[in-house]
Amino acid sequence: MTTSAISARRSRVMPRLSYDERSAYLFVAPLAAVLFIVAVFPIVYSFYISLYNLKLTRPRSVPFVGLANYETVLTSPTFWASVERTAVFTVIAVVATSVIALLVALLLNEDFPGRRVLSALLLIPWAIPYVANALMWKWIYDSNFGALNGLLFQLGFIDNYMVWLGDAKKTLALIAQAFVWKEVPLAAILLLVGLKTIPADLYAAAKVDGANVIQRFFHVTLPGLQSSFALVFIYEAMMAIRHFDLFFILTEGGPGNASDVVAWRIYVETFRNLSFGTGAAMSYILALATLALAYAVIRAMAQRI
Amino acid sequence: MTSFKPLSRRRFLQGSAAGLAAATSLGRASRASADAPVYFETWSAAVDTVKSHIAAFEAETKLKVMYANTPWAQYREALITKFVGNAPIDTLWVSDSWLPEWAEAGWIKPVDQYKELMKYNGDVEQFCIDSMTYKGKQYGITYYTDFMGFIVNGAMLEKAGIKNPPTSWAEVREQAKLIKSKGLSEYPILVGMAQETWVIEFMSALVFSHGGRFTDAAGDAVMQDPKGGAVEALTMLVDCVHKDKTLSPSCVETGELAGLKSFLSGQHAFGLIPKYRLRTLNDPKQSQIAGHANLVLMPKGEHGSHATVGWMRFYGMTPRAQASAEHAADTVKLMEWFGGKADGEYKFQKLLFKDVGAGFGVKSLFNDPEMREAYKAYGDVEMIKQQQALARKKDVVTPWFGEWQDVNGAAWQQALLGKLTPEAALKKSADKWTELKKQA
Repeated sequence: MTTSAISARRSRVMPRLSYDERSAYLFVAPLAAVLFIVAVFPIVYSFYISLYNLKLTRPRSVPFVGLANYETVLTSPTFWASVERTAVFTVIAVVATSVIALLVALLLNEDFPGRRVLSALLLIPWAIPYVANALMWKWIYDSNFGALNGLLFQLGFIDNYMVWLGDAKKTLALIAQAFVWKEVPLAAILLLVGLKTIPADLYAAAKVDGANVIQRFFHVTLPGLQSSFALVFIYEAMMAIRHFDLFFILTEGGPGNASDVVAWRIYVETFRNLSFGTGAAMSYILALATLALAYAVIRAMAQRI
Repeated sequence: MTSFKPLSRRRFLQGSAAGLAAATSLGRASRASADAPVYFETWSAAVDTVKSHIAAFEAETKLKVMYANTPWAQYREALITKFVGNAPIDTLWVSDSWLPEWAEAGWIKPVDQYKELMKYNGDVEQFCIDSMTYKGKQYGITYYTDFMGFIVNGAMLEKAGIKNPPTSWAEVREQAKLIKSKGLSEYPILVGMAQETWVIEFMSALVFSHGGRFTDAAGDAVMQDPKGGAVEALTMLVDCVHKDKTLSPSCVETGELAGLKSFLSGQHAFGLIPKYRLRTLNDPKQSQIAGHANLVLMPKGEHGSHATVGWMRFYGMTPRAQASAEHAADTVKLMEWFGGKADGEYKFQKLLFKDVGAGFGVKSLFNDPEMREAYKAYGDVEMIKQQQALARKKDVVTPWFGEWQDVNGAAWQQALLGKLTPEAALKKSADKWTELKKQA
């Protein structure tokens, strides 16, 4: 085969790029390389790790175990107990965030003096870093010198200081409350944007048809907010399922195992037990579960819209 | 205007070769050469004191020290990552809790062969030597040590009309009930049982003073033995929470620091508190009970003694340091300068004590007039010496300690929450221990 024939065949398989196309690839290449290093490689490498019994404290023995780490995790009662707690936390957090954010969005959608100031104030929790938020709530909930006990005691609601985070029955709900406080502003903004997109004509038509405020809310506002709610639901559910900071700072999985959720279990397995293999397997299971949930919600919403 | 020069194949190859050479030389940095500096890693405590002592060492020996520190909270994980990444480290601070894990992994090496370090053993508390020993080999020289103390709020006892502090746990319970009945404190007893690094020290002090052990001499679990001190200790705690109501149910969320703050505010009569906190407790600028916080002997259980738990931080030595005799000698010099004598005295231990109140495992320092004078400001030096002599090393320090403690801590908390009986909680803990021991 002659050189020209080879060249002709190559150009059929890989058509020559134009100058503009080559320039475009050149400009995109650095960013693509960075993305590959900081995102693609770690994702692929963590899956690779999940196939090995990699325990940092046993550096000389790292056997390939295939999917055994996944099997270990999925057959562990401790893991399923943490899945149950994660589900409870997520349901409390997402429902409470959605309801409160809707009320806030409805309020901010009205015209009243001081609306802009109130909007700015409502954003404060969102602007506070997660760790600072967690430390703040740790002081509030402290049973010995916490602000919550101090307030309730001074108002005469309690005779003795109450146990908050130390009471296993209250722990998840209290952590969810701290989570909701931080998440409501963003959810409210997303819903407010949705409210602004509902045509005023619909409300006018409903009024003409004799619909009262409540009927307009259920038959115009809520259907108009479906896509915004889908976004809030998916985002907040993902945040709640993966949430770690509050559990780390407020309770470290305790008391007992009361707040031992999946994200906390992954931390313990990976960074305390230094079992990177099972930790990575657990992370993949959590990521796939979150992805499946988001996909199911999007599908369900797409069919309804 | 600058002109763009295309990269020729030759220049690319030259550049690559230079990069490769640089990377190779960096890789070699983890192996020490003859006149290489000594790499020293610590957690971020008394950093200025450490630096000034290093400067004095460098001036004295003409050796170079490369010093780095990491916050305590991330120290273990950070150091393990460095070990795995083959980072240059010659000597470092090590906690007794990590000794088996690090020794088994080969990250630290025994130091028995260095007479310059071993000669200090005769002047060091036995539990300190035990805490630095694993499988018959000693892995370091003392950095600092301390023990879990039983501290009483003298002012509150006086108000309650109690003349003598308790000597047994039964007396603690009785006096606590009396103090509560007089309305002096809602929860007179303070024990922090939050799941944090300190909790094993609190548990061990309780178990040892009840005459119990978590494990026997063979390393098998005995914590579940109904006649053993562990069950007795946990039962007592549970009774204090649920029957006497003298220990707050919130103890499961009270960590060491939160407990200290609570004790500082004068809310409690009795507390399990690390001895070195005495300085803070008797500091009028920080404490509402300053001058009234007294260390007394750890109360004893029905079948127990005044024993408590002691812990140890020491200077460990890595395989890198021992790779050549010359570099090992340099490293040993630095370790001795810090953990042993410098210019004829335990200079760094004295500096640490005066600077941050860190305890020492060197017995002769209790007789040092300067140290006795410093101690007098906030504690009874003879009582401290007496209690320290009764301290024991933790008996659960193994390569699987962290994994076991995850379950053990939760089990104790479940008992305190009333979800498990003390017997069931300790059986759960013992089962986990046995499972992990088999896997090891």
